[in-house]
Amino acid sequence: MSALQIIGWGVTSPAGTDDQALVGALDRPPAPVEVTGRYDAPLPTPRAHALLDFDVRAELGRKGTSFFDRRTALTVVTCRRALADAGLQVSDANRHRIGVVLGTTAGSVRSSVDYAVDTFTQDPPYMVNPALFPNTVMNCAAGQSAIWFNLTGVNATLAGGRVAFLSVLRWCANSFRSRQADYLLAGAVEEFTPHTAWLSRHGRDDELPAGEGGAVFVLRPPGGTHLRGPDAEVLAVTLGFCPRGRDRAEALAGCLRGALDRCGVGGDRVRMAAIGGADDAAARATAWRAVESALGHSRVRRIAVDGAMGDNPTAGGALELATVLAAHRQDPRLDGQLSVLVAQNREGAVGAAVVRGWGRGSARG
Amino acid sequence: MKRVVITGLGPVSNIGIGAAAFESGLRGGHTGISAITSFDTAGFPRTMAGEVRAFEPEPILRRLDTATWGRSSLFAAAAARLAVRDAGLRVDRVPPHRVGVVVGTTSGESKVTEEMGRRIVDHGFPALPGELAEQLPAGRLAAAVSEELGVTGESVTLATACSASNYALGYAYDLVANGDADVMLTGGADSVCRWAHAGFVRLGAVADKACAPFDRDRSGMITAEGGAMLVLESAEHARARGATPYAEVLGYGLNCDARHMVAPDAASIAECMRLAHRNAGVRPDDVDYICAHGTGTAANDATEAAALEDAFDGRVPPVSSIKSMLGHTMGAASAFGVMATALAIARGFLPPTINWSNPDPAMARLDPIPNHARPARVRVAQNNGFAFGGNNAIVLLGAVS
Repeated sequence: MSALQIIGWGVTSPAGTDDQALVGALDRPPAPVEVTGRYDAPLPTPRAHALLDFDVRAELGRKGTSFFDRRTALTVVTCRRALADAGLQVSDANRHRIGVVLGTTAGSVRSSVDYAVDTFTQDPPYMVNPALFPNTVMNCAAGQSAIWFNLTGVNATLAGGRVAFLSVLRWCANSFRSRQADYLLAGAVEEFTPHTAWLSRHGRDDELPAGEGGAVFVLRPPGGTHLRGPDAEVLAVTLGFCPRGRDRAEALAGCLRGALDRCGVGGDRVRMAAIGGADDAAARATAWRAVESALGHSRVRRIAVDGAMGDNPTAGGALELATVLAAHRQDPRLDGQLSVLVAQNREGAVGAAVVRGWGRGSARG
Repeated sequence: MKRVVITGLGPVSNIGIGAAAFESGLRGGHTGISAITSFDTAGFPRTMAGEVRAFEPEPILRRLDTATWGRSSLFAAAAARLAVRDAGLRVDRVPPHRVGVVVGTTSGESKVTEEMGRRIVDHGFPALPGELAEQLPAGRLAAAVSEELGVTGESVTLATACSASNYALGYAYDLVANGDADVMLTGGADSVCRWAHAGFVRLGAVADKACAPFDRDRSGMITAEGGAMLVLESAEHARARGATPYAEVLGYGLNCDARHMVAPDAASIAECMRLAHRNAGVRPDDVDYICAHGTGTAANDATEAAALEDAFDGRVPPVSSIKSMLGHTMGAASAFGVMATALAIARGFLPPTINWSNPDPAMARLDPIPNHARPARVRVAQNNGFAFGGNNAIVLLGAVS
């Protein structure tokens, strides 16, 4: 029995949106674009993996989008792609059983910090824009997505930085177990702003610039069927915490072993792995050491998108899962193969998931 | 499914820090509202808030280095430490991986956000200090609790705004009920800050002096802060260590209005109540007390009263708003409500709605338990939580059988 099924997904990323672009970017990562002078504040790097051409009005129209912050706009567009890919029709019969579950680091940091800035520059200081106040809450993107698609089921936002996406999958698995939803749009999406660029720079010991975008997956409870076989099954997802002073690699490896044990999968059967990016070289080394220790071998294909899409602490893991599933669609020889995702954040939260994927139209066995 | 009980309360509130002080504040109908001191209120037409002025993390915390954590994280960690103490729980005697943490919040480390704004205005972007980047992530609220207690189970922060700690409790309940964890620390935390205060003032939602929910002459909400953490464990785990539970968690319901980011929707909230009742296996007639979301704004009062009329078919049990005492503690609000509800059940009293003077003809049948706590036998009680984004979350508690 798996934890949940994935029946479709959507991506908004600097490497593109379709399978071919995502898989191609692994070998031929697109260069970051010139961002100097494109924003209203100095940036820590002259180039970044920003989506300079993203235009919410072109994507969604003018009506209802004028007060969206960038994170919300990117999220709604990505949800729309995911719904279309899954072929899920929302109707009065099912909307109360369809929810939205998103991961975040601190919401749209630009929205809340700009609000704070206004209280120091406006006279009187409370003359902030009331229409932008909802953007300051971290559940804004999830709430606006629910409004856009009229989804009245469970609606949640989980904060956890690099672990947020695996927390989302775990929360969704529990939601299905307690029969609270039939479908969930689950993912993580981040904006590029001077604020996120500056946050990403903090503590980095390499030149990796920040990026933006993310991925949203349409999830179903395990067991049921929908139109066709699933794109993937998340066989298990586990979370944990490693207090200061404990061995982080061991904690992460233990979390992954727990996930493998839960679904009865031997590490030798795992073919692909992703770590959701890292804050610095040491954290990256720790994550790969943990993966290889838990799997008992180092033959996994490493799926890392930060070279192609920039550092995206909130959504890197979601983008890597989408890239794994894109690889399945591109290559039927991968049908039924197993991948693992792990994640850790600076504070010590850890997570792991085991995923089995297929291409579209493949036989299941 | 295991039965899940609440065995420890850890309130860090403006009416009392610690379970006993909080209970006496609730019973006495104390107010925690005072003139704002945490930021300069010059130019603000509303200057009252529910700050926890007496909060000193150092005497409560054992492990965290208080200088490296933001105020909301310290609220959560201190509240968790108090909850564990109230539960009489020796955390070091529970396998660390069997203890998890789930914390709800609206604005996370909002004082860090405020400080970022101030620094950007004064010195510009490149001069932002690394400590702010370090302290900003909202996931630190749960991490602070896990780190303080040295536990290794899952550590999750739910950011569903002002119902977040009901969301948190629901998730924690599921993990214990399904045997994923033996003990869960669950609750919420938020801090009073300049920018959120400004936002609510600008919306015209903030009261001048006092928060008077369900009163004809209400004038709005009061922004507030605090940390509220509870110990949840399976009934068998509590029994085995000889703990006395306050109440049992019966179930919860979640839904989303999906209509408007700010304005609540009565039909959707009534549906959430029906969902919660169904999940908890209770009928409306079983409910003896409702701890309202009760922000004290005209919009909330009218919507909540209409939803209650609908879901309870006109037979609404006594309803009070503890926000009349605490103000709106945002992400901590629902967890303070759970505490009030658990105390109502365990100690046999209904917490009052203070500042109440005149019935509102639009909700004439509503009993807001005006101004004075009332002795009552409470078998089943309901705690309402609504939020920006339409995130409704309702929890049902029952007496321990």
